[in-house]
Amino acid sequence: MTREEITAAITDALGTVLEREVPEATEETRLFDELHLDSTSVLELLMALEDATGIEVDPEDIDMDDFATVGTLASYLESRGPARSAAEHA
Amino acid sequence: MTGTATLERIESGLPSSRVKIDDLAGRLGLRATEIGVFRKIYGLDELRYEPGGGLLDLVLPPARRALEALPEGRRVDYVVFAHTMQMLTPPGLDAAPLIRDALGLHGAEAFAVNQQACVSSMGAIDITAELMRADRGRRAPGGYGLMVTGERAYSPRIQLIPHSAIMAEAAAACLFTLDGPGDPVLSYVDRVHGEFADGLLMTDDRIKRFGAVYAPELADVIREAVAEAGLEPAEVDLVIPHNVNTISWRHVIKELEIPPEQVFLDNVPRLSHCYSSDVFVNYTTLRDAGRLKAGRPYVLASVGLGATFGAMVIRRSGTEAA
Repeated sequence: MTREEITAAITDALGTVLEREVPEATEETRLFDELHLDSTSVLELLMALEDATGIEVDPEDIDMDDFATVGTLASYLESRGPARSAAEHA
Repeated sequence: MTGTATLERIESGLPSSRVKIDDLAGRLGLRATEIGVFRKIYGLDELRYEPGGGLLDLVLPPARRALEALPEGRRVDYVVFAHTMQMLTPPGLDAAPLIRDALGLHGAEAFAVNQQACVSSMGAIDITAELMRADRGRRAPGGYGLMVTGERAYSPRIQLIPHSAIMAEAAAACLFTLDGPGDPVLSYVDRVHGEFADGLLMTDDRIKRFGAVYAPELADVIREAVAEAGLEPAEVDLVIPHNVNTISWRHVIKELEIPPEQVFLDNVPRLSHCYSSDVFVNYTTLRDAGRLKAGRPYVLASVGLGATFGAMVIRRSGTEAA
């Protein structure tokens, strides 16, 4: 999965969790301050991303600093890779 | 005679119908990703839930089995129905005397305890033991109390505790007396935090605050109960917890600085949180698996919305095997 694909998956997952489209999201978008996620909805976001990317996340190993922005979350997911592409995951 | 409460027989019962939490998504209005959080982060999987099941059908079977331990010629003075939700029966029907009468214990006083929510079962034993101590000189000695639990998840409003638990059905019963041969209660501590009195109606900010104090406060109540029993946390054989979820307990384990295996969490994915019944259901699971050792101390611990934090230290009866 490329960085762009991961970022797109995050935007999609944000749409699921927030129950609205988030076309304004960029790498710099702050998840807590701008999109008003909280510690619970962040976990839900992770579950949606696991489903979308196949990246496995260890709940014991979650550091909230990784959820500062869309970009930091993308970097965290890259570090957990290798992720399956959408086609492989289908 | 010290007037120590002793737990003479604990029994439990479960509805036979098993449900995966995924199958409750529609009823509880949860997205697939929210179910994912309950499954992966909170450690839930399966639970018992029998739509339309009757209250007494759930409560009476373990109560009858616990009563089998009542020695010949002895009497039950109190039947106490401990529950979490205030309303379990239609208006005009009082469940506690119905349960007493169905058990044939017509001479007993019957009442309910529910203000401590999911701590009410332990609270009921503490309250009733105190009544029994106060009865000395007024009643013939040697009376027993019967604490029963069991309630139905009759509405989605009382089955989902947002960001915390999915409630399930189970029942339990505990026959107890004073200074009997059963498991002595070494200590009981509960603390009520009225700022969380809105329970299921708490605002998001209040829920957040509750989440912040939950683990440190529960750990502190457990530590206090253990100290009051004259023990150190390391001496406790097992903490027998409520089945709220695994992540809350992991935080408590961290606060207590004890090994994770010292808290019995096997029933969280099997049974989920069954209102006031958990600690007694979990006791029977452990006992039936041969995991309760004679002479060793155990801590029963639970939290009730509202909010009450409670911990009871007991010592398993019998003499330690060589």
